[in-house]
Amino acid sequence: MSRQDLKNTLAYIHSEINRIETMAGTLSMTEREHYRKLSNFDDRAIMDIAAEEQNAARQLGTMKEMCLAMAQKIEEIETAVEQETFSGGSDRA
Amino acid sequence: MLKLVGNWVRSVAHETLEKALTRMIRDQYVENLFELVPAAKKVNPIYLVEIAMRAAQGSPIPRPLGSPVHFSPWEKILFNPVHLSSFPTPENVTIRTSVTIGQRARKPLTISIPVMIAAMSFGGALSKSAKIALAKAATMAGTATNSGEAGLLMEEREAAQLFIGQYNRGGWLNAPEQYRLLDAIEIQLGQGAQGSTYQRTTAKNIGADYQAVFGLKDGEDAVIHSRLPGVDTQADFIELVRRLRHETRVPVGLKIAATHHLEKELQIALEAGVDFITLDGAEGGTHGGSPTLQDDVGLPTLFAVTRAAEFLAEKKAAGAVNLLATGGLVTPGQMLKAIALGADAVYIGTAAVMALISEQMVESVPFEPPTSLVVYTGKMTDSLDIEKGARSLFRYLNACVQEMEQVAISAGKTSLADLSKADLCCLDPFVAKATGLELGYIAPQKQQQFFGDLDRLAFAQATADPLPERELN
Repeated sequence: MSRQDLKNTLAYIHSEINRIETMAGTLSMTEREHYRKLSNFDDRAIMDIAAEEQNAARQLGTMKEMCLAMAQKIEEIETAVEQETFSGGSDRA
Repeated sequence: MLKLVGNWVRSVAHETLEKALTRMIRDQYVENLFELVPAAKKVNPIYLVEIAMRAAQGSPIPRPLGSPVHFSPWEKILFNPVHLSSFPTPENVTIRTSVTIGQRARKPLTISIPVMIAAMSFGGALSKSAKIALAKAATMAGTATNSGEAGLLMEEREAAQLFIGQYNRGGWLNAPEQYRLLDAIEIQLGQGAQGSTYQRTTAKNIGADYQAVFGLKDGEDAVIHSRLPGVDTQADFIELVRRLRHETRVPVGLKIAATHHLEKELQIALEAGVDFITLDGAEGGTHGGSPTLQDDVGLPTLFAVTRAAEFLAEKKAAGAVNLLATGGLVTPGQMLKAIALGADAVYIGTAAVMALISEQMVESVPFEPPTSLVVYTGKMTDSLDIEKGARSLFRYLNACVQEMEQVAISAGKTSLADLSKADLCCLDPFVAKATGLELGYIAPQKQQQFFGDLDRLAFAQATADPLPERELN
């Protein structure tokens, strides 16, 4: 893989992770809202579903945090590749 | 008819009680059954029965679920809600609950809630169905479960989305083909309820499935050695940690019984480059540690967490090396206090087992203890409904975290990890001094003066040279 290809791939992964992070955040809010609505019922089975929704909201929140951490790592790699390109260029010059 | 029987029972009870009370009052203590009451108060009913058990068995008596003595004074610590000085968190703001363990590892472990299922081994402690139920509940809640000191139980591995395995002193999970299937490795050198002593499960209590998972020969006992095989020097331990990190890329941690030598032990762990440290306080439970190891050995969880967190902060390792607290944490408040004192996450064992069987214990009581549903040698392990148990534990975990979130909102935080010592106050001056918490019945600006006066008073008493009263004011 050429350096340009690597940079393009990293940019693609970075943008997709950002998108997944946004989706996880939005879904987490939706799940939380479902929990609030479902917890208005007294039925045991519905309360179980409500607990599952609340837990799903938490796990989606976790996914959002994981995406943030991964995006940060990719940024670091992008910067390193950028710097290497620059220093490599200098060497060649 | 029913009324007649009722009256008769009432009359018999009355007469019996009257006779018993009369004898109790008139008889000398040496002939009086009431003697047991002051004796039990002096000896303690638990110790009284354990004296009899030792006398009957002539060997250490295995006591399940840990010490009845509550060493950590969690009830002396309270969270500080906020109203105006800073504001509570609005209810539509999500409280972050996730924790990443082993940030420096190539494959860190992220859990959705800061509560994990503690190390309870298959065979040595729990039945296969109990282990699978615990793993299923952990997966439902987005958290990890722990193998305990056991071989690799594939059904448990498959049921657990996140599985922490113990590289153990029995040597049963220590082969690469086993530990490479783990999401994190915890090198087990000891536990709160048993210190670092050896343990033995005799062959008569080992079934075919246990024998297969542990790789034991016919008639062979399962022995947990006091030392980890191959680790006889600090250098051996350091080499082991480095090798496991290199081979597996998952977080590698150390689990020890909390001890007064804590800082010395942690220093070696830091030198070895561990990703996390699991501290099991003196309140830690077990399937069958002896009462002496449970009641008289170790350091309470509260002080262990505080000291370890301070040590990691001093060494600038906080965050890079995660601190996992375990041992006697049974309420969400206790779990969250451990987190506020510096733990990144907690393990729960006894509480998890109780939650697991909460709806099914009617099957066993009153003739068998509730744990007979989950213990490997229990009489009713076949009766455990795995799905029902997993759901009960999942509900419990969800409720616990929700209660923790309520505290975070009241303290004005957006993440459970943001809670710190500043969000706590203490109701005991000695605990306050030891933990570095502020004393609840003294205003923050007067703390220094109070403790200064207290120190001078203690010094004056110690030197029998009391300071003049005006100096203390």
